[in-house]
Amino acid sequence: MAEVRLKQVRKAYGAAVAVHGVDLDIRDGEFVVFLGPSGCGKSTTLRMIAGLEEITTGTVEIGGRDVTRLEPKDRNIAMVFQNYALYPHKTIYENLAFGLRMRKMERAEIDRRVRSASTMLGLDPYLERKPKQLSGGQMQRVALGRALVRDPDVFLLDEPLSNLDAKLRVRMREEIARLHQEVGTSMVYVTHDQVEAMTLANRILIMRDGHVQQVGAPLEVYDRPANLFVAGFIGSPEMNLVDGHIAGTVARCGALSVPLPPDAGAAEGSEVVLGIRPEHVTVAEGPGARPFHVAVIEQLGAQTLCIGDVDGVRLKVLMDRSDAVRHGTTLPVQFRPERLHVFLKQTGLRVNRAGAREGQRPAA
Amino acid sequence: MSSKATIYSFLFMGLAVTALLIVAPVAYAVSLSFYQMDSFVGAPRFVGLDNYARMLSQWVFWRALINGFIYSLGTIVFQVVLGIGFALVLNQVFPGRNIVRGLSILPYLLPTVVVVLTFKWMVDGSIGVLTKVIAALGLPPVQWFESPGAAMASVILVSVWMWTPFVTTTFLAALQTVPSSLYEAAKVDGTNAVQRFFHITLPMLKPILTVIVLLRAVWMFNKFDVIWLLTQGGPVGATEHLAILSYKQAFGQFDIGGGAAVATISFAILSVAVFIYFRLFPLDTE
Repeated sequence: MAEVRLKQVRKAYGAAVAVHGVDLDIRDGEFVVFLGPSGCGKSTTLRMIAGLEEITTGTVEIGGRDVTRLEPKDRNIAMVFQNYALYPHKTIYENLAFGLRMRKMERAEIDRRVRSASTMLGLDPYLERKPKQLSGGQMQRVALGRALVRDPDVFLLDEPLSNLDAKLRVRMREEIARLHQEVGTSMVYVTHDQVEAMTLANRILIMRDGHVQQVGAPLEVYDRPANLFVAGFIGSPEMNLVDGHIAGTVARCGALSVPLPPDAGAAEGSEVVLGIRPEHVTVAEGPGARPFHVAVIEQLGAQTLCIGDVDGVRLKVLMDRSDAVRHGTTLPVQFRPERLHVFLKQTGLRVNRAGAREGQRPAA
Repeated sequence: MSSKATIYSFLFMGLAVTALLIVAPVAYAVSLSFYQMDSFVGAPRFVGLDNYARMLSQWVFWRALINGFIYSLGTIVFQVVLGIGFALVLNQVFPGRNIVRGLSILPYLLPTVVVVLTFKWMVDGSIGVLTKVIAALGLPPVQWFESPGAAMASVILVSVWMWTPFVTTTFLAALQTVPSSLYEAAKVDGTNAVQRFFHITLPMLKPILTVIVLLRAVWMFNKFDVIWLLTQGGPVGATEHLAILSYKQAFGQFDIGGGAAVATISFAILSVAVFIYFRLFPLDTE
């Protein structure tokens, strides 16, 4: 086990810069998820930690050791690939044992480690099979096992669940979480799936176009997105982003006035973008309630997502399941200032500092 | 026409073409081996297995058989080893790679007679470039087609030169189907380049290697044109293999039955060899 430190790690392919200087300290035993859309540089950053991609500038340290110019085999890392990368001509046992054999480990120790990992991952019945005789989930477990037997300083996982169907993905996600708890080794995990990131990570690093957008705990990035990109990327359904300007204690968005939190952080008259999560719009009568005209309904099972207009502004509203709501229904909605996100339109950066957590209420 | 009738009609046509182009000539050639004939127009006389007994009792037959094995084995080993080597090089990223890849296939595209004549000029006793180089290095002159060993080396050399590009191109295509993630996983697993070749590249190329070795073996064992154009089986039969012997017997000695017997034995040897080969190296059908 070890900590991983990235110092201004940058990757350029000629004039094209894929990663613009990443700084990150991953604590011993921490589970960090690199999250972002395709082409944002998250996999490239992971591959630079692995040594599969040359680092243009900057340094990578693993366990206090500078590994920037070392070969992958000399970094004591283990990696799980998106397409599993199992050796098709070798049996599952041989796949698990290969890395240890290459390190000239004693045969008895190899056998002990392989059988221990195989038991932990439920692979005992398949040890003599070839990879193509396994299902996608079983292959992914073998890929995890191959990393596990190595007892590395850090696990690197590159979109390991992308090739699995939705149901299996949930099961494997739980398995990875359990594995992390059991072995306690640092893990760096790349995904474009925010649910995987939110459920697995101790911390999430969000990237866009090779730039780090925000690093924080899952609920921290959900509660206090640092900029418009993070605000739009984290959360499902997506956050409502509404253009407006500051007018006293409210933000005016066309005909709609939204009460601001006390620490809105923007000067009078500033052009802002208000972030309102669909789940943070309250459907209830009360002072300040506005009529919301439902145009589209999406029944999600436990919840109902309504898309409609309030004072001419198009919004998504997520509420507890309602079978009665119909196209054309008018619902009273209220905005909770403490759950409002205020971003400066010009910079896209968040300006309200607090951004309350669930259950927090504005000061009386 | 019903779909079943369509299927059967296509099947019948396919079988008819196969019978016409493959089965009939083979059957005719085999049948010739049971007759004594001195031309294709004279009256054949049935002699049973006499032609086989006669040919098998002659030492030229056994010499031709051994020569055939030496020639096939030599050419296959060099073609496969060099073919894989070149394919590995051409699979790397370097400036002008596509041009080099295109050039590498050229010898295969040239007519055999052009390659053979080019080689003959290269080793010409007075103006040949190889002759000059050997002289410049202070080495004794090589009797390319006069000494038995050098003659066999020459036919192997020209065959390797001509058909290695085919092997290279096939392996290059196969190499591009190997997922790069396997090499990356192997790097993480602690392998060096040599270990990656033996643990990843070679096993991944095995299916294509099996087919290539078989095809080259069959083609080389039956190869006629290169040897005929270079040495005509000489000197003193040193490069004469079964295909050359069969031709000489049929069209040089006007012993058509004897030539057909040699060709039939060659066909039988190859059939048995192919059968054993597939038992030893079954194609992966999982």
